[in-house]
Amino acid sequence: MKKILLFTFWGIGFLLPVRGIAQDTAYRFSLKENYTKKEVFITMRDGVRLFTAIYAPKDSSAMYPILMERTPYSCSPYGDEKFPLQLGPNALLQKDGYIFIYQDVRGRYKSEGNFQEVTPAVPVKQTKQQVDESSDTFDTIEWLLKNTQNNGSVGLYGISYPGFYASASLPGAHPAIKAVSPQAPVTDEFIGDDCNHNGAFFLLDNFGFYNYFDGKRSDNGENYSEVFKYRTNDAYSFFLKMGTLKNSNGPAYFNAKGKIYSEVLQNDRYNSYWKSRNIRTHLKNIKPAVLVVGGWFDAEDMFGALQTYQSIEQQTPGNNNNRLVMGPWTHGGWALSTWTKYASYDFGSNLNDYYHQQIETPFFNYHLKNKGSFELPEATIFETGSNEWKKYNTWPPASSTPTSFYFQPGGKLATTAGSNKSFDEYVSDPAKPVPYTSVLSGRRNNEYLAEDQRFAAQRPDVLVFETDTLKEDVIITGKIIANLFVSTTGTDADFIVKLIDVLPEAEKNPTPNPRNFQMSGFQRLVRAEVFRGKFRKSYEAPVAFVPNKIENISIALNEVAHLFKNGHRIMVQVQSSWFPLVDRNPQKFMRIPDATEKDFQKASIRVYHNSHIVLPIMK
Amino acid sequence: MRKIFIFFPFLFVVFAAAGQNSQDSAWIRDNYIKKEVYIPMRDGVKLFTAVYMPKDVSEKHPILMNRTPYSCAPYGENNWRFFWNNHWKYYMREGYIIVLQDVRGRWMSEGDFVDIRPFNPNKTGTQTDEASDTYDAIDWLIKNIPNNNERVGVFGISYPGFYSTMAALSNHPALKAVSPQAPVTDWFQGDDFHHNGAFFQMDGFAFYTGFGKPRPKPTTIGPRGFDFPTNDSYNFYLEQGTLKNLAKIMGDSIQFWKDLYAHPNLDEWWKARNPRNFADKVGASTATMVVGGLFDAEDCFGAWRMYEAFEKKGKNDNKLVMGPWYHGQWSSGDGSFLGNIRFGSNTAEWYQNHIEIPYFNFHLKGKGDISKQAEATIFFSGANEWKEFGQWPPADKQDKPIYLRDGGILSWDKPSAKNSFSEYISDPSKPVPYTEDVHLDRTVAYMTDDQRFAARRTDVLTFQTEVLPEDITLAGTVVADLLTSISSTDADFVVKLIDVFPDNFNYPGNMQVAGRQGMGNYPMNAYQMLVRGEIMRGKFRNSFENPVPFKPNKIEKVKFQLPDVAHTFKKGHRLMIQIQSSWFPLADRNPQIFVNIYEASISDYKKATIRIFHDADNSSNIVLPVLK
Repeated sequence: MKKILLFTFWGIGFLLPVRGIAQDTAYRFSLKENYTKKEVFITMRDGVRLFTAIYAPKDSSAMYPILMERTPYSCSPYGDEKFPLQLGPNALLQKDGYIFIYQDVRGRYKSEGNFQEVTPAVPVKQTKQQVDESSDTFDTIEWLLKNTQNNGSVGLYGISYPGFYASASLPGAHPAIKAVSPQAPVTDEFIGDDCNHNGAFFLLDNFGFYNYFDGKRSDNGENYSEVFKYRTNDAYSFFLKMGTLKNSNGPAYFNAKGKIYSEVLQNDRYNSYWKSRNIRTHLKNIKPAVLVVGGWFDAEDMFGALQTYQSIEQQTPGNNNNRLVMGPWTHGGWALSTWTKYASYDFGSNLNDYYHQQIETPFFNYHLKNKGSFELPEATIFETGSNEWKKYNTWPPASSTPTSFYFQPGGKLATTAGSNKSFDEYVSDPAKPVPYTSVLSGRRNNEYLAEDQRFAAQRPDVLVFETDTLKEDVIITGKIIANLFVSTTGTDADFIVKLIDVLPEAEKNPTPNPRNFQMSGFQRLVRAEVFRGKFRKSYEAPVAFVPNKIENISIALNEVAHLFKNGHRIMVQVQSSWFPLVDRNPQKFMRIPDATEKDFQKASIRVYHNSHIVLPIMK
Repeated sequence: MRKIFIFFPFLFVVFAAAGQNSQDSAWIRDNYIKKEVYIPMRDGVKLFTAVYMPKDVSEKHPILMNRTPYSCAPYGENNWRFFWNNHWKYYMREGYIIVLQDVRGRWMSEGDFVDIRPFNPNKTGTQTDEASDTYDAIDWLIKNIPNNNERVGVFGISYPGFYSTMAALSNHPALKAVSPQAPVTDWFQGDDFHHNGAFFQMDGFAFYTGFGKPRPKPTTIGPRGFDFPTNDSYNFYLEQGTLKNLAKIMGDSIQFWKDLYAHPNLDEWWKARNPRNFADKVGASTATMVVGGLFDAEDCFGAWRMYEAFEKKGKNDNKLVMGPWYHGQWSSGDGSFLGNIRFGSNTAEWYQNHIEIPYFNFHLKGKGDISKQAEATIFFSGANEWKEFGQWPPADKQDKPIYLRDGGILSWDKPSAKNSFSEYISDPSKPVPYTEDVHLDRTVAYMTDDQRFAARRTDVLTFQTEVLPEDITLAGTVVADLLTSISSTDADFVVKLIDVFPDNFNYPGNMQVAGRQGMGNYPMNAYQMLVRGEIMRGKFRNSFENPVPFKPNKIEKVKFQLPDVAHTFKKGHRLMIQIQSSWFPLADRNPQIFVNIYEASISDYKKATIRIFHDADNSSNIVLPVLK
């Protein structure tokens, strides 16, 4: 999610910018004593002025590199006298001395111009009126180089939406840009980030997000009011009661007052609206060093991190300056001062010390200050299950073997080939969608990506297939493909595939156990993805299902690095709703944003036993 | 459950939390002495008995006795029970002689134990039953315990509640007052092992793997229960698959378990074990006060129905007290909340000081005046207040059917549509959980749990009223009157009466609720509070004695009682009914074909399509006891 609700946990905090959080007393450092602040408007080539805060070291005995974050979430606090709690992506760089730049992007907060959702790139600009985020970044850097006491080197970083702006600095990058770190960058909002995954709309996150993001800007540009007021601590009930997407844009809610929300609903397939916003297309021949960072438990832009790395890698022949770091983090979790636990995982040590000290800080110091060294392998990957960092020369590693596990009769998952002569069946009822979490909460349960799936396994509308108890450790690293053979009595359906690590019955609970995790037989979600069935042949041109006809759907799940321990089981669950994370499919082929209550129908769904999941097994 | 006392949090609590009340402890130690004696019964069998006597001899003291199969431990005259951790300490301050007795065949008593030993109304000579054992014990006590006033009371919770009922049938003239509390009463119809013929495997199995073990000779060492290989009861019972497999784990040595399997229907064997059938034998001069919990997962039925049986058949003074409690909570727990639901005050403490202690004081010590104690003193959840009635159910309640309607509507108006029904597929391989969280031991609070987790399933039907324009108070028995057709030959029907809280409801202040991942305060707005749930094994719809199969797809009536309720649905709330066909693993799964379920094989368990009709001809409804 290109959201700023990054690090909010239960019931605390809201709309806190990254910089406000990652503060630790151990690093306490007086910004006011060491930095000056100046707020300026920087004029772009088309005359539009972008509001920019410049924090420069008071010590003028040296020249400093520029490190910039461009954001749609405000470069607050505003005012020459007001300092944030921290400058830079972690608490270390501010001590090394950088000129930190925060800029409100075009059309947001105190900047002029018109905002566009995930600004489409204009690769060939013929007039000065043709601008995009690349040109705004270029023009900003031009101005900064001339107007600050800098060493001529520029870096950019950003998490989530700001990650997109970091990525957008790369095409036609200003030659002064030496190092860019797109972190959980918003990348492709139809295929895998934020708005949609494989064409299925992520209702819960986006409803809340656009209510803020589409709101009205205050006169001084410092605040946005929500489009409408709502409050719930039970999102499942709230969205079920709301009913259709059409209702969501009706009088009780958005009422067509959310510009982007309306655009998102309007563009219900992979058309030019979304394609023009897919920055991957433009990540070619990249010159600056790049450090892509993402989280295995990032509910918003895990796809963006993995795909941004891969696009640069594939589209920049001979580039040896592109690196990937994937850790067991939620969206932006790496920016916190500590990261030792997530859901029922306990990583044993503060992973963020390692990341800040050994990866992020050396990356910028080396490339922008020529200080120290930076020798990071191609991919630094945290393997869940074993809870260890692994280093690979390629990503995904070449040493994995794609291995098919078939959905067998009797709930078995096995490598022996299955047959389309038998199937399992369930009734998917849009009036009783499968919850994505067992926790009652108004906002997304940020732990759902590792939640115990027993609440789902117990439902009649969730299919469960599991291996026998593993007799040795099984490590999977890389891409997962689910290859389904399905039929439905309806004309459209969603398919959610969940890969799960089943812990042994003898597994002990942690001590102490304040969260009351019941680890015996725990079904820990490892990776999951949704696919909107009508896009099985093409994201651009959806096609209806012929009722009861077997169809093949191939679903790419985000990559994974996980060790299933000896004594565990591998489980796959298949279901046709994931609510209210994802909006409900009416199970009738149509433009879903136009569906009315009566369009929503039950469907009987069959999953045939030649269906399988392909896991990248490490030798 | 690795504890042996699953049905008996009462005892469990007695032993728990030592040292909490050192003042009481010291006082009791200073003012009492303990004696252990063997009391001979008429047939020569001797029952082990622990007697705690006041040192004070300035007056004669009454005897308060508890007969138990769970041991009168700790054994040894220097080892004292932790009376100071529950309300028994108040009786000691009042100078009662406290007597604990191991029943025949348990722990240190001689003889053979028989579960819920049948009452013998026609004893002759040296024939015994639990009533005669109580008689003989009382007789011995008043003759042998120094300084007693020849007035005896008996009380007990759960299984000891059964022995209290049996005491009431002893007709010993010195026995003045008996309080059967959550008394085990009918193990086929509604207590512990079965509800309407459906087997409560979870409690039964966990309890019986320990409790049922033979005790060849007197011992102070208790049996050990089953060591479950998992913490996930849903998974455990699902993996066992059949009752036959559960029996394999139980082994061959546990007689009562075999008896259960041998008596799948309500037969003479069960009827002999139902004290209600002998309630007419209660001594006319023995006062009885039946006590129970509205949310007692074990013997809620027994409390309501034993009171009713005494009332209908006995000639004695009989009273009823029901509070918002789990099993035994009135004796020790903080009765101000259960699970997520709050009751506004400490109802347990109020009961102890305003009802129970004055009751025994009056009958056994001639102290005080209890003429003002109502026939029935009942706590109403929802309203969160005690109400007093001259009879139970109250004279001014009216049974009103509320109808299931198309579109999930619950209405006082009978449907007029033709051929209208709701349907679901009940799949024994995916039974509806009775509670949401992963756990091993049956939870103590499931009877007030939020039912939203169930409402969200495709195999649970939900019907609810509009927002209530005024309070509705229910007082009495709820009757489910379903018109159903099933695609198979047997099915279970679980009916749940639910109070849906308003969308803006919240309790004041914060209360942490343990056991929920990621949660702080549980969201109480739109909470679906279970008020009463009950299961009915469909094949018993016409007769519990003679089960009959369903004819597939033929509409049949399934009518059954839910235990009484005492609850106010407040203005602004809604009334909801949920219907489902499993309640797992609380109740065993119905294979959904007509078969002796105790002998069913895995392959007998089949999916079935269940229809609940709500049209003009077949108007499924729930009869609610509405208090005017």
